[in-house]
Amino acid sequence: MNAKKIYPLYFSYGALGLYFALFFFPCMLGLFYSFTDWNSFRPEINFIGLDNFRNLFKDNTPYLLYFGNTVKFTFLTTVWKTAIGFGLALLFTRRSRFANLHRMVIFSPQVLSFLIVGLVFRSLMHPSTGFVNLALQGLGLGALRQNWLTDLHWVFKTIIAVDTWKGVGYVMVVFIAGIQAIPASYHEAAIVDGATFPQRVAMISIPMLVPSFMVVTVLNLTYGFRVFDIIYVLTNGGPGYATGVVNTGVFKEFSKGDYGMGTTLSTVLFLFITSISYFIIRSMRTKEVEA
Amino acid sequence: MKTMKIGILCASLSLLLAAVLSAQGKAVTLSFGTHQSGLPVSGIVQQLGADFEKETGIKIDFQIVPDAQWRDLLKAKIQAGEAPDIFCSDADPLSLYDRVRPDTSCIDLSSQEFVKRMAPSVLPAISYKGKVYGITFPGEKIWVYFYNKDIFAKLGIKAPTNYAQLKDICAKIAKTGVVPMYEALQNGWHQVLPLFESGPYYQTFYPGLYDKLNANTVNIKDIKQLKTIVSQLKEFADLGYYGKDFMSNSVEGDYKAIADGKAAMVLEGIGWGTQAETDYPALKGKLGIFVMPWGDNQIIGINPASNAYFGNAKSKNQKEILQFFAFLAKHENLQKRSDGDPQALSMCWPEIASKYPKEYSDYLSKLKRGTVMQAAVKYVDSQWMDVGKDLEAMYAGASTVDQVMQTISQRRDEQAKLQKDSSWK
Repeated sequence: MNAKKIYPLYFSYGALGLYFALFFFPCMLGLFYSFTDWNSFRPEINFIGLDNFRNLFKDNTPYLLYFGNTVKFTFLTTVWKTAIGFGLALLFTRRSRFANLHRMVIFSPQVLSFLIVGLVFRSLMHPSTGFVNLALQGLGLGALRQNWLTDLHWVFKTIIAVDTWKGVGYVMVVFIAGIQAIPASYHEAAIVDGATFPQRVAMISIPMLVPSFMVVTVLNLTYGFRVFDIIYVLTNGGPGYATGVVNTGVFKEFSKGDYGMGTTLSTVLFLFITSISYFIIRSMRTKEVEA
Repeated sequence: MKTMKIGILCASLSLLLAAVLSAQGKAVTLSFGTHQSGLPVSGIVQQLGADFEKETGIKIDFQIVPDAQWRDLLKAKIQAGEAPDIFCSDADPLSLYDRVRPDTSCIDLSSQEFVKRMAPSVLPAISYKGKVYGITFPGEKIWVYFYNKDIFAKLGIKAPTNYAQLKDICAKIAKTGVVPMYEALQNGWHQVLPLFESGPYYQTFYPGLYDKLNANTVNIKDIKQLKTIVSQLKEFADLGYYGKDFMSNSVEGDYKAIADGKAAMVLEGIGWGTQAETDYPALKGKLGIFVMPWGDNQIIGINPASNAYFGNAKSKNQKEILQFFAFLAKHENLQKRSDGDPQALSMCWPEIASKYPKEYSDYLSKLKRGTVMQAAVKYVDSQWMDVGKDLEAMYAGASTVDQVMQTISQRRDEQAKLQKDSSWK
């Protein structure tokens, strides 16, 4: 009886075909090319084993720095966007004046292109003519003026701040949707029992928002690991190579014509993202079941 | 009656639509991709583009990209088959293939009439395997330090002829609150000039150096004078002689910095002075020049080639591209270009007279000359922007002089091996 309701397997052949052609096959091809010396200077492609992977660990190459920066960027932007986005969502789901206007204003950077955001912030952050330093000077806080995009101590923090500013609105919207889906009766019952606001957030909102946290975390992680645009336009990976990430490295290798090395970087990144995403989703699913 | 009115309206709209579509079908727009430094600041090329449009109806759409991103972007676009119809690229005989893949990506211009009129000295820079692929306009490229004569006179100092003097005058200038030397890292290439423009000077210590570097019998990191210059550049940054914000400065800001008296010296192409005097008439007669004295160098570096324009071999509009190149190469347009670009003191077209100010030509005639390193040594110019990043890292404190030298050498090895250079086996 039940077997009659199951669709036949060949219904999935079309979708599987597309999946293999557009996703699986290119991934495998990329993996294959990472073991070759494929480049733009010669037509022949030779198998070179693990040479490209060994080059990742060679002295005086920035590849490990790129991976470190990518992880650092991903971790910090995920934490900041989630924390601030969640805080703003809590704020704008309470009865506050002009809540929709505030939501719109905070979400609006999301619709701007990275190029525009990068150019605007490069201008704002210029040490002598930029708005930030001039404003600090005007407020009598001249001592706080910095070379925001060229000082090693500040440049990564600046990039993370700009990226958080741009992406926090999206995270806020996801959390607002999640909060609004929590039945009001839970909070009302907790209020009757004398629970304070922080207690209600900790005991009701956060456990009920685990799916939202999962979505936000996976989205932020996958975005963070494949970041390129914001770094390219703000610092082009500089000063020197200090803010280079894996994808600025991939771009560099491809533009140099060393496709094999570029593909190696992409492959390592792909494996990294896949494994991290798998474990995160798995661990969060377990927690969801427990909750 | 109402139906008739609607009918007439529909017919008119259809006609209008057809007219618009047919006009769109006929009009050709050529995309022209370039870096900021690829076009004269005077805007004369854009003006010539507008003249060309008036004459032929073909529009030139200039797409200008920051210097720091252009080389990588152009290579990525060429390799992805998405290059603009016309693209501007720095051209030299050793890096042309790496940069624009002329045999597969550029239109062969060998049979064009204008090729015969260009100076023979620039042809190797735009040729590959005996075929000419580019059209170029600037004359030989020379970089010198421009200085504000008023500031020097006020402090009783003279143009330096060695590093010790340079350091000494910078100390004196810095005390007055003026930035001694305008430096700009945002474009990515300017900071690299002292390293490789001083190539003729290195050759005086190592005879046949360029050939030995190309044969891989000398390692670039073993050139002591090159290392000395890198150390001196770092010393200047540490002493604050480039000012506080040099890492955020752009080359284009140097006109204003010198004109406002905020900086005393700047390293620029020889035509910069006449452009500065045109834009800031108060500077007239107040700019002097001296050869870059890093490492005690006193030889002027000559680069026979500059940037060139290439036609995209994969473009649908090849006929129009050739038409545009022929238009630019018309004698009257070459003259217009020369007249409209104060920075172009000479052109690589013998039919156009050079316009070097006497003071400059007198000074330059007294100096020894030699070909710059990037025009004669393999795998130097192709890593120019990377070396810019190495120096940026050094200034920021993220790497040392030795690391910079090591990285330049390592990058040469990588590029040679990638191209299966027989000297690197």
